[in-house]
Amino acid sequence: MPRLAGSRAAGQRGGASRGGLSRGAAKGGFSRGAAQQRKRRTCRFCDNKEIYIDYKNEKRLQRFISEQGRITPRRISGTCAKHQRQLVKALKRARHLGLLPFVADAVS
Amino acid sequence: MSKKKIYETTFIVNAALDDPQIDAVIERVKEVIVKNGGEIRDLTKWGRKRFAYPIKKKNNGFYTVVEFTAPSDTIAKLERHYQLDENILRYLTIVLDKNALKAKAAAAMQAKEADTPEQAPKAATPVAVVDEDDEESDDDVT
Repeated sequence: MPRLAGSRAAGQRGGASRGGLSRGAAKGGFSRGAAQQRKRRTCRFCDNKEIYIDYKNEKRLQRFISEQGRITPRRISGTCAKHQRQLVKALKRARHLGLLPFVADAVS
Repeated sequence: MSKKKIYETTFIVNAALDDPQIDAVIERVKEVIVKNGGEIRDLTKWGRKRFAYPIKKKNNGFYTVVEFTAPSDTIAKLERHYQLDENILRYLTIVLDKNALKAKAAAAMQAKEADTPEQAPKAATPVAVVDEDDEESDDDVT
């Protein structure tokens, strides 16, 4: 119980849960930002019910690397922890086989 | 417990060689697997592909994927062979876990379904297509 109350207090100051929520929404700014983030945060692999991420499917993997060849962090791609681990493994395997770059040539 | 593991090995052959020479290299790899008590389940030749970065000063290579079962000591011998063969630029051997196998089986099933004329009537009835289209479009968007 005390923990629950504490977490609410962190958002707004205590009070009844209803009141706290509505006040937060009225304030705008923060709550809107949070809503946007929440909307984005779905793991693509979970959505598609994928159980294995294949290192051979380079086109699929390419979405998860930046232009420079860096692996997209979880906080941006929204991938869940389980699938991010598998994804990173697949990406690194693909890199080893020359399917994906370690560093993309920006200068060339 | 002593169930044989299923492995998948991908190797890259020097693409500067002629096709028969590449085939010979692949044949030798197969031989190594079979001679050491392995059994080849599947062999896929991807053909020549451009690398994302130069490997051993070459810009492209011939990719081959072999799926096989073998006792565990075969892998060491196989990788030793890879090291010795100058025409093999890179290799990767992995154990296929049960999820990988499941995904593979599912993919094979889908490929089968796509081949059979079952798809034609499905496309004719729009109601049945809706789910599939949704899934596909999701894929494209992501």
